[in-house]
Amino acid sequence: MSSFEEINIGDTLGPLELFVSKDQCRAYAKIMGMGDIAGRFTDDEAAKKEGLPGMILPGNMSLGLLSKLVTDWIGSSNAWLTRMSTTYRVPVQPDHTITIHGFVTNKNPADSTAEIDVWMENEEAERLVTGTATVEFRK
Amino acid sequence: MAVDYDPALINKVFEVTEPVEVKPEKIKRYCAALGETNPIYTDEEAAKKGPYGGIVAPPSFAVTFRNGRHFFENVPRFGRRGFDAGKDVEFVSPIRPGDNVTLSSHVKEIYEKTGRTGTMVFVVIRSTLKNQKDEVLAHIDHRFMNRT
Repeated sequence: MSSFEEINIGDTLGPLELFVSKDQCRAYAKIMGMGDIAGRFTDDEAAKKEGLPGMILPGNMSLGLLSKLVTDWIGSSNAWLTRMSTTYRVPVQPDHTITIHGFVTNKNPADSTAEIDVWMENEEAERLVTGTATVEFRK
Repeated sequence: MAVDYDPALINKVFEVTEPVEVKPEKIKRYCAALGETNPIYTDEEAAKKGPYGGIVAPPSFAVTFRNGRHFFENVPRFGRRGFDAGKDVEFVSPIRPGDNVTLSSHVKEIYEKTGRTGTMVFVVIRSTLKNQKDEVLAHIDHRFMNRT
C-alpha cells in the first residue's frame, strides 16, 4: 500500500496468523505493570479462580495486535492510524493460533481517509475481538 | 428507562497523573511483546528516513500509560461488577522517546442499552494524553459495561 489513490473499497489486510504464547502474554502484562494486580493475564490458576478457562490476553494487547495489522499495511507510507475502536466479545486465550483480518469498508476523498473493519478469530473462526480503524493519508 | 446518575459527574476532570517519561527501552520491549518489526518503530537509522524523522512508538503504545490509583474509584458502578467492554482510541500525534506523558481523565458519558441478555449500563471514561509541550497525543475512551 503506498497512496490513497491506490486503495479500493474491499481491499483486504492480512490475514495475520499468530501464535501468542503464554510467555508473550506475560511479557505484555509486565510492560503494562499488570502482573501484580491481575493474575488472569499471567497465571492459569488465578484465571480459573475468576471462572475463566485459563490465562487470557489483556484487552489492550488485542488492541495492539489489531493496530499492528493496520500499521503493517501502512508500512512506511506517509499515512497515520488516526483511530482504533475495539469491542471485546470473547476472552482471548494464549497458546492458541489466532488470525487477524481486515478489509477497507469506505474511502473518503475529502479528507483522504479510509475506514477499515478489523477482527480477531480463533481456530474455530469465532470472532473474539472486533473493531474499526481509520487511516489518514498525508501528502 | 433513563439511567439515574448525578449529571455533575459528566466532564468533571477527576484525575491528572504525574508525567511518565517514555524510555526507548520500553518502546523496544513493547514492540517485542507484540512481534512488531516495522523499522519506523524499531530501527533508528531506517526511522530517520521515514515520515517522522526518527523512531516513534507504535500508535497503540498510547494505551500502555497507566491511569492513576484513583481512576477506578471514579468509574461509577451500576448494578453488578463492571467489565472492560472496549476502547475507542484517537491517535492524534506520534509518541516519541523522551516524551513526558500525563493522562487527564473525566467521565464522558453514561448510557443504557438493552440487548438479548438484558439491560446494560455503559460508562465511558475519557483519558487525554499530553506531552511536555502540552500537545495532545491521544484521546482514549474506555467503555465499561455494567449489567443491571
